[in-house]
Amino acid sequence: MPSLPHVLVAEDNALVADAMRLLFEETGHRVTTTGSIVDTVAAAAADEVDLLLLDLGLSDGDGLAVLAELTSRHALPRVTVALTGRDEQEITDRCLAAGCRAVMLKPVPVGELLRKSKEWLAVSEDAPASD
Amino acid sequence: MNRADASVPQSLTQPSTTDGRVIALEAQLKQALQHIADLEARDALKTQFLANISHDLRTPLTAVITHAEILRDGILGPLSDRQLDSISGIISGGRQLLEQVGEILTYARGAANQLTITRTTFEFAEVLAQLSALNESLVSKKGLTLATDVQRDIAPLHADREKVFHIVGNLLGNAIDFTPQGGRVWVRAFGINRDGRDELVVEVGDTGIGISSEHHDLVFREFAQVDSSASRQHHGTGLGLTIARKLVELHGGRIWLESELGEGSRFYFTIPYALP
Repeated sequence: MPSLPHVLVAEDNALVADAMRLLFEETGHRVTTTGSIVDTVAAAAADEVDLLLLDLGLSDGDGLAVLAELTSRHALPRVTVALTGRDEQEITDRCLAAGCRAVMLKPVPVGELLRKSKEWLAVSEDAPASD
Repeated sequence: MNRADASVPQSLTQPSTTDGRVIALEAQLKQALQHIADLEARDALKTQFLANISHDLRTPLTAVITHAEILRDGILGPLSDRQLDSISGIISGGRQLLEQVGEILTYARGAANQLTITRTTFEFAEVLAQLSALNESLVSKKGLTLATDVQRDIAPLHADREKVFHIVGNLLGNAIDFTPQGGRVWVRAFGINRDGRDELVVEVGDTGIGISSEHHDLVFREFAQVDSSASRQHHGTGLGLTIARKLVELHGGRIWLESELGEGSRFYFTIPYALP
């Protein structure tokens, strides 16, 4: 039996992280949640991540710092998607430049998030890990 | 007066009196400028607080809405129709609150001059079609008719699509909100040339309660609702028109209204075709 896709939810608000854990666990994923840059980097380096859902405001700084650190450790998730509360173009541009596949405004409707996740995970099966 | 007054002609004492007054006035001016600077600093702090708090409010709302959608979509098991209605109510309420929080955030950024324009080329008719579809259920629920009319062969806009959407959305939302059952709401768009400059003019009109001319400026001010009596069941942040004006001005356009009490309202705004 193939292993479940590993979703890492980097989100510093426990209420939101719990909701995301529930959503992804109930729909056939293995979920890890973290709230800081340090913990997110450690979790991704320790256990290969298929989909990283990255909040930009983590407890110890800018969430995009996670990607820079994981790049240097050659431990990038297969797909990273930024989830943000701000919809300014400059933030979107910054996330895409940092290597995010997409940027979504919170709260993303759960139906849309699941549909997109399925697409990203399907594509990432064929893509190199550094995608 | 002092002893010198008796022996020295008054004209010679005048400069020193004038000097004294100038010094006093300068001191007052300095004090007033300091006072203005203090008030501006406090205003900026308050604006920043608004931006922070509205951003922070989104987070718990995200948890509420996500949990409710998990239930609604049957991810935790099927629901009865009544349970589904109830959970849909939670989601609608949450999304409405989220929109209002978003308006406060937009206002705060506008007040702090943190809003920027990202231009793309798009058809205004598409923006309008999208907004008509979004408002369709509300319009039919209130028994209103919504008519749209965009001049054929009108050139595409080169503007911030999201912000133009926001402007029309706010004006249309107000028109629907302030028009009683059975009324008419319309949006027209056409091109004009004003002082050698091509502009798109958008009119959002309604047969609603109208606004007396003495209040025409007031409605564009933040937090204003002309009639705050409890009998008027119009809720909102009171920021919709302030934000619309800010977004129009960011594009180098103008916004105004024509209305009389009891005779409906017609709001107009322009978006120049050429870059400001």
